[in-house]
Amino acid sequence: MTTTQNVTKSTEKAMRPPRRLAFITRLAATLWANWKSRLGLIILACFIFVAIFAPLLAPYGASQDGFERNADASAAHWFGTTAAGEDVLSQLIYGSQISVSVGFIAGLLSTIVAIVIGLSWGYIRGFGADVINFIVNLFLVIPGLPLMIVIAAYLQNGGLVMIVAVIVITGWAWGARVLRAQTQTLRSRDFVTAARFSGEPAWRIVFKEILPNMTSIIAGGFFGAATSAILAEAGLEFLGLGDSSIVSWGTILYWAQNSNALLTGQWILLFAPGLCIALLALSLTLINFGVDAISNPRLREGKSR
Amino acid sequence: MNHILEVKDLSVVYESNGFTALQAVDHVSFVLEAGEFVGLVGESGSGKSTLGFAITRLQKPPARTNGGQILFRGKDIRELDVESLRQQRQGGFAMVLQSGMNALNPVRTIRNHFIDIFRAHGHVEKSRWDARQIELIEKVGLSKEALARFPGELSGGMRQRVSIALALSLEPQLMVFDEPTTALDVLVQQAIMTTIKSLQKSEGFTAVLISHDLGVVLESTQRVLVMHEGRIVEDASSAEILQNPQDEYTRMLLSHYADPRAEVVELPGFTERASRDGAGAGKASGTTAAGTTASREGRSADSAIVVDQVSMVYPPPRRGESAITAVDDVSFTLEPGESLALVGASGSGKSTIAKLITGIEKPTSGTVKFGSLDVARLGRGQIRELHRNVQMIFQDPYSALNPLHTVEYTLTRPVVNFGGLRGPQARRRVLELLETVGLAPVEQFAAKLPHQLSGGQRQRVVIARALASNPQVLIADEPVSMLDVSLRAGVLALLEELREQWGVSMLYITHDLLSARLVTENIMVLNGGRVVERGNTAQVLQHPEDDYTIRLLDAVPNPARAWGAAV
Amino acid sequence: MAFVLRKIGLFLLTLWAAVTLNFLLPRMMPGSPTDAAIAKLAQNGPVTDATRKAIEAQLGVPDGNIFEQYLGYLHQVITLDFGVSYTFYPQSVSEMIWQAFPYTVILVGFVTIIAFVLGTLIGVLTAWKRNTWLDALPTLTGSFASTFPYFWTALLLLFFAGYVFHLFPTSGAFGPTASPAMTWEFFVDVLYHAALPALTILITSLGGWIIGMRNAMINTLGDDYVTFAEANGLKGRTVAIRYAARNAILPNLTGFGLALGGVVGGSVLVEQVFGYPGIGYLLFNAVIGQDYPLMQALFLMITVSVLIANFLVDIMYGVLDPRTRR
Repeated sequence: MTTTQNVTKSTEKAMRPPRRLAFITRLAATLWANWKSRLGLIILACFIFVAIFAPLLAPYGASQDGFERNADASAAHWFGTTAAGEDVLSQLIYGSQISVSVGFIAGLLSTIVAIVIGLSWGYIRGFGADVINFIVNLFLVIPGLPLMIVIAAYLQNGGLVMIVAVIVITGWAWGARVLRAQTQTLRSRDFVTAARFSGEPAWRIVFKEILPNMTSIIAGGFFGAATSAILAEAGLEFLGLGDSSIVSWGTILYWAQNSNALLTGQWILLFAPGLCIALLALSLTLINFGVDAISNPRLREGKSR
Repeated sequence: MNHILEVKDLSVVYESNGFTALQAVDHVSFVLEAGEFVGLVGESGSGKSTLGFAITRLQKPPARTNGGQILFRGKDIRELDVESLRQQRQGGFAMVLQSGMNALNPVRTIRNHFIDIFRAHGHVEKSRWDARQIELIEKVGLSKEALARFPGELSGGMRQRVSIALALSLEPQLMVFDEPTTALDVLVQQAIMTTIKSLQKSEGFTAVLISHDLGVVLESTQRVLVMHEGRIVEDASSAEILQNPQDEYTRMLLSHYADPRAEVVELPGFTERASRDGAGAGKASGTTAAGTTASREGRSADSAIVVDQVSMVYPPPRRGESAITAVDDVSFTLEPGESLALVGASGSGKSTIAKLITGIEKPTSGTVKFGSLDVARLGRGQIRELHRNVQMIFQDPYSALNPLHTVEYTLTRPVVNFGGLRGPQARRRVLELLETVGLAPVEQFAAKLPHQLSGGQRQRVVIARALASNPQVLIADEPVSMLDVSLRAGVLALLEELREQWGVSMLYITHDLLSARLVTENIMVLNGGRVVERGNTAQVLQHPEDDYTIRLLDAVPNPARAWGAAV
Repeated sequence: MAFVLRKIGLFLLTLWAAVTLNFLLPRMMPGSPTDAAIAKLAQNGPVTDATRKAIEAQLGVPDGNIFEQYLGYLHQVITLDFGVSYTFYPQSVSEMIWQAFPYTVILVGFVTIIAFVLGTLIGVLTAWKRNTWLDALPTLTGSFASTFPYFWTALLLLFFAGYVFHLFPTSGAFGPTASPAMTWEFFVDVLYHAALPALTILITSLGGWIIGMRNAMINTLGDDYVTFAEANGLKGRTVAIRYAARNAILPNLTGFGLALGGVVGGSVLVEQVFGYPGIGYLLFNAVIGQDYPLMQALFLMITVSVLIANFLVDIMYGVLDPRTRR
């Protein structure tokens, strides 16, 4: 109802006048105000902290072996050792570097591809838009992980670069779709037409008028893409399709399964890396609860009906 | 006394996380007698809709009633539990929402909507369901075929009629209509108000009409409550409000109504153009033209916009439907310095003409020329040249400004792009523009973001942006229709003043004949894409010849006319 | 029914694009998998020239120009003749796929539908009881579970329910003593073996459907027809189901179609962990064994299945939404 809108508008008026880039500060403040995304931000900060200071935090080197094999938890090795005689805790700590950076880089790259395609798709009309529509829908329905598996199989142990590339190729479509819808909504707003009347060139309309109004949706797309990137990377590593010599949560699980940790009863070897992946993914999902609430006011926390 | 509703000291607050609480309704008290038709009037943000939702117990968070009583037939409905409240809605109080067109479930047929209500309350025997549905749907002026339709298959006006019929099926004693015609076309609005009035008489329910339009309310109701900033500032019979308004705010609202057919039309801060132009006949009068040339020295001959036999046909919206002819063989000339009104109901093609003139769309046939430029055949760079001279003022000030840019940024862009000014020079020009549209202190307004401005201030920024390129022509597409009544005159006066001073010509697109009378010399009435009447504005409005023009004139709310006869 | 015809046209076009993508994929890759493939095949016995030709055609080794190759490939796809598997020589690829296909269709198809229906119902409940514990509990546990990597859930279930407590078998689709036949015993045995993989997919996918439906329903609960239904005094349950949920199901259904690919992908990992002889397990083995014909055909099958599922969802959408029917 109009009244409600007006009320929100006038209450916003009461707040401090925001300056340039204020929408980013406001985004952060709104996220912090939501308890779910606050929790997510805290968990994410912990993981980033561990990833950056891994060499200081880890008791041993990542691939330092020569300890007793398949040892249970002890004072020297809190989480025990692997079948190759490496310290599990150190591997977990170093493994965070891979997941955090793959999530960040692949998430960022997918988001950039999504922005470029989504915005131009939303802005152009006619046959070109139909073609993009078809391609995006194709990438949306093609199952991502099997495609990744097949590409990874053809490329034969391409390592992390290959994994990131495959994730980006298969992961941009969803974001592009969401951004396109938003671009179309914004495009029909008068201020975009007005910018044309002000003599603004097309690129300026897209980057100065439309893009900044999609901050929360882009942020949501980024966190979503990062989440699926982290899960996909772990999945590929677990299948042994990545570089199995690096230390990541996925490869820890790969080696654990190959060395029959299930039979030897070393449950911590299975439990801990998976929990780390789940917690990292959860932190991003939680942050997105807050981001969703910004993009869609109806999802904001409020009293029950 | 036969009170049906007694509201005592009612307060409603909006509380949402991270925002300061806002008292939308502030200790309001009033009484409704059985069978009365009462209007509740206020401008946006006055709390009228919030009050309407509160007294029907439909408010949702973040709104919360935080004090007072709502006595419906002597019983406080604030104390009812969910189930008794639900039962109370049959034979109790019903509500028709502002956005009646969205008030129907898109995946259920109209018949099912009725059946849901009959099932929920059991007040109609199953054997009578069919008969009752037909009876109700015919009462609101629809045929029984509508029952089998999905909401998406009906027009906006028909959907609003259906929601009135649904509310009627509850056999309510009190009906609250929340802006029941706002989103609809002028002519449809009038027809629906007529239906509501006659239903209220025949069914005998007590009715509350919530509206921002004092004119509409005075025409239909017996008593009016005027609301301002959460309080009821005046509560009097319609005749009394019209003849002897007590509150200053009511008087201010009333002063903004006038009859476009009158000999002399006056609004606050506005001298009427017919009297000022003397005879008022013909094209731009000599005096105006002289002023124009003087203030536009240094510019070569001004160009006219010549629209010649233009038609615009849109492809059918769905397969199997016919193409839509939005503009049908329209020709006219907008002379330099002329102010021309383009009038019609929605769908008459007036906004399409604006798009064709500004090069946003290309006509299916015919030509549009600005000076020597053939608008329909412009390349990208030339469109820019066109926009240097032909600028647009938009309808919705809330959508016409990018919420993330300061006023200064918004105004700097055309100054940089068209004026070639940079740095301090550009800034000086921006401040000048703000001064021109009356937004002082200019430094402060330059730094503001759109959400810190009121609707009227936003529209002034939009006008300033249109002026930044020093254009020859302004296309104003319903520039005041989204503004509160009290703000309209100010913006119109500004437009008129600028036009006189700068000598720009203006195409004024509107459905509002009163504003057309105030700011234009000549008028064209459009119906279904065709021009049905044209001539001098004052003459056409005082002596309309075409049927459609007469119907548009009749649809203008005119409290004085309605009560003039009765009193 | 213009709507259905349009959808069928779009489906066929997408199908063609997916088939073509599958054809181009190996040809876009650097290096030649053919030599690796033939070396692999040679381990099982001498490679005839005909077989070599067949492999080359399949893997994109120039045999005639690219159009002839493409036509040959299309012919293979239409006749469902994908040649011979390397790792399970001399079994044909089609034969192997038909053996594995039913397990996956039943496991993934069935569980996904159950998960979707269950998730949607819980989503309706959470949105209707917003901000009570009936909302918070499913929402939080659901979103937590949906971040579990599929293979991790699988490993944990396998470890605890399989190895530690011996509640369920640890691998295979049926026991070593059971003989595949249409008997009740065999049926129960298959269900028993499918329980853990099914549970894994259920746990990991349920959260997504709950959140999706919850968000969609919170949106429709704010729509005017819901307010108006309340104003008309309809019963709470009618408003929740016939008004809010009935409309919220539409966007959720689109989401279902698009998320299906993710579930199918996840099931590859699940089948691998449980040694469940479905399409995913076969794909994994084909990749490890560098069995390119099998891999290519499997990927095609998976893609086509998801496309068909999406097509069905599209049609269902049309049935549920009167606005598309005109």
